[in-house]
Amino acid sequence: MKKPRVAFFDFASCEGCQLQIADLEEEILDLINIVDVVSFREVMKEHSDDYDIAIIEGSIMRPIDEGRLKEIRENAKILVALGACATIGGINKIRNQWTPSEVKKEVYGNYNLKGNDFFDVFQTKAVDEVVKVDYNIHGCPINRDEFKKVITSIAMGKNPEIPNYPVCVECKKNENICLFELGKFCLGPITRAGCNSICPTNGSPCDGCRGILKKPEVECINDILERYNLDYEEMKRRCNIYNYGKEVCK
Amino acid sequence: MKQEIKTISQNEMGIFVNKLIQNDHYEVVGVKSKGERFVFDELEDANELRLDYDVTILPPKKYFLPQYEKLMDFDLKKNFDVKTKFDNKPRIIIGVHPYDIVALTQTDRVYLDDQKDDFYKKRRENTIIIGIDIQKVSERSFSASLGTHITDTGFDLMLTNLGNKYAITIGSQKGKLLLNQNASTDEATDDEIKKIAKIHIELPSKYKKKLKVTDENELSSLLVANYENALWEERSDRCLECSSCTMVCPTCYCYDVKDEVSLNLEDGTRLRTWDGCLLRDFTKVGSGEVFRDEIKDRYRHRFFRKGNYLTQRYGFIACVGCGRCSTACLPDIADPCDVINELHSFGGKGNKDKFFLKQQIDFLEKGTIHVPRKATITRIEKLTDSETLYEIELDDKKPLGHKPGQFVELSLFGIGEAPFGISTGPSQNSKFELVVRKVGNLTSKLATLKVGDSVGIRGPLGNGFDVKSLEGKHLLFVSGGTGIIPMRSLIEYCLDKKNRDKFKYIKILYGAKRPCEVLFQKEINEWEKCLDVSCRLTVDTCSGGECWVGSVGLITTLFPKLKVERIDPKNTIAIVIGPPVMYKFVIKCLQTLGVPEKNILVSLERRMKCGVGKCGHCQINGIYVCREGPVFNYADIKGLPEAFE
Repeated sequence: MKKPRVAFFDFASCEGCQLQIADLEEEILDLINIVDVVSFREVMKEHSDDYDIAIIEGSIMRPIDEGRLKEIRENAKILVALGACATIGGINKIRNQWTPSEVKKEVYGNYNLKGNDFFDVFQTKAVDEVVKVDYNIHGCPINRDEFKKVITSIAMGKNPEIPNYPVCVECKKNENICLFELGKFCLGPITRAGCNSICPTNGSPCDGCRGILKKPEVECINDILERYNLDYEEMKRRCNIYNYGKEVCK
Repeated sequence: MKQEIKTISQNEMGIFVNKLIQNDHYEVVGVKSKGERFVFDELEDANELRLDYDVTILPPKKYFLPQYEKLMDFDLKKNFDVKTKFDNKPRIIIGVHPYDIVALTQTDRVYLDDQKDDFYKKRRENTIIIGIDIQKVSERSFSASLGTHITDTGFDLMLTNLGNKYAITIGSQKGKLLLNQNASTDEATDDEIKKIAKIHIELPSKYKKKLKVTDENELSSLLVANYENALWEERSDRCLECSSCTMVCPTCYCYDVKDEVSLNLEDGTRLRTWDGCLLRDFTKVGSGEVFRDEIKDRYRHRFFRKGNYLTQRYGFIACVGCGRCSTACLPDIADPCDVINELHSFGGKGNKDKFFLKQQIDFLEKGTIHVPRKATITRIEKLTDSETLYEIELDDKKPLGHKPGQFVELSLFGIGEAPFGISTGPSQNSKFELVVRKVGNLTSKLATLKVGDSVGIRGPLGNGFDVKSLEGKHLLFVSGGTGIIPMRSLIEYCLDKKNRDKFKYIKILYGAKRPCEVLFQKEINEWEKCLDVSCRLTVDTCSGGECWVGSVGLITTLFPKLKVERIDPKNTIAIVIGPPVMYKFVIKCLQTLGVPEKNILVSLERRMKCGVGKCGHCQINGIYVCREGPVFNYADIKGLPEAFE
């Protein structure tokens, strides 16, 4: 069987999710045994536009990004969004609370950027707001094990199973003390699992980087905040880190 | 029963525990603190033991049904290479509270029944349980109400803190031996024995939470009476659907099974992990259908399992009152004590057996609940655009030995398992057929296999048709869509020359969506040639270019035509198999015809995963489709709200 050809692309991001893949170390040999990596800027200088699977890191911020992404989609049989910036917009969406011109003014002052496509920005979009995404590999950064799972699934011709249940499931299996009991606001109950509850296990509340699964009723949220003596504003801030613009409750 | 009771000083107790820890033969776990909470964890020193704990975050269930458990390893380079390894490490668990011991004895009933789970069994056999009477009652616990605050069975040794020393009640020979070999003890005096009794008697007064209904029959009946109570919706409106309540529960045992393959695409593992019925995907089948879609229904399901479904099946309330779910539930809606007491205020008495079906089934293959048998695809025939027939033969060349209506779990290593109704009638032939519609991962992978490739088979599973009960009757087969696939196993049986005399007139109604989706046209033509057999086919729609001589319209449109034919409804058995939406309408037609309810047999589809009544996915109210079904008498299950929703 011919090995699928894989190309990595980056948009607005820290490229940390690709770094997670580069960090597979000796396992990268297994990876290149099952796929041909034809483009991966972080680890190789070669590039090819002939690929089956496009793996996209980063958010879409500019008209020129949109054009480039659409072209990639045309070339690829399978398109995978890699990491929170790509799958949900992530922290890049925090910018959406201001207009593009406000943002430019804040960063570049009165410097004249007219006519320069690199600085022509719109409101941040996740990859699936521009093109069809076949599979999401969630997280900030991604979970390497999940990346392996998705790649092996694609290579075996099956749909990868991405959890549709919240982080609490994994957190309970890990027998952590619930962070609410420790007076912290955690997004675990409504955030997609698959990270093996890495943040709560290490004492940090979940920031929702794998996307919000459910909008609870307002009364439910209020009950919880009251029960654990937590602050609504703090909750809002936490939700906005990765999920700006998403309603957190009904 | 009079039990032998010893005593041991606090100091000697520490020496005893350390002796066990130093013994390499055992892994010794006990209750340790984790921040302000407690957990069962491996002990390095007796000083770590916190026998004064209130409750642990997770119950000791994790040592018998681990969060993630390898069921088997497979090697995809080789053809059907499976290895199973058991966890044989002898383990001692110190500090188990009585309610958790009771929970384990409940789980035994499920996992050590006629289809024993070998993984669980081995762990149970290799574990020594040293219990401890509760010293500090957990804030949310109501175990005294359920009588699980104390126990006189289920442990090897049971400690009771008498202040300056521990009393040790001996529960088993294993426990006695362990104690004799590793500790110096005294006989308990009469006074000390009285002191234990006093501790037991005084314990209930320390509980803040008390249940108003504690009798299993009363609770069972109260739940049935309140099945439609508004409380389920009111409370579940606030549910986060996180299933934390089931994850921390000592009596929850539902599981999911997944195949994982390493990055080299060679080594793989079939893993079992805890699943929870509050999660939406819990009932999702390959075609995408979710059978308990509303959170209200999932929320209610959990309470019914605890207080009615399992109670009717096993005779106990499947809640031990540990209070872990209440602590874990952020919106605080999971507390069984609160819910049951609220139900009590509504009152009511229902028929407690309403959602349960007492039925014994014989498993042909005992003790093969996880590892499939090797089989080979001997013929592949594409029947329609989406359905393909696979003829399969077990490699031991033995006949499958199935009854019409039974199913098998087909396994493809690296992908997983899925249930399929057997499409051929019972025979001495070692080959049988499955017809598979391409819908999900497993069926897509199956589509790439060739003749000669290996698959895994578990089964036959489930309850097939009781063919004896059909003898001397007219038979009316009604099938819609892929319902004809398992139906064919019964039709073939009835039309077999050896059996044909046993049945009277046979009418077959079959509806498909479109002419190109009609299955077994060749077979149907053959069936029609038999004496006293009539077949009527219909399709929902037929586009211009398609050639079709049957009727056009839903399956129900065939019934008025039946009336004109001679029919003896009282002596007719109707067999109905089709998509979930079909049953309601067809059953109405049958009632109009005058076929009595008890003469209607149906075969239902749900997410049958384990096939042996354990994993919980295929449950319809109190019954398991994989165990009591998939074939049911309509009269037996018409009262189950989840059967034909």
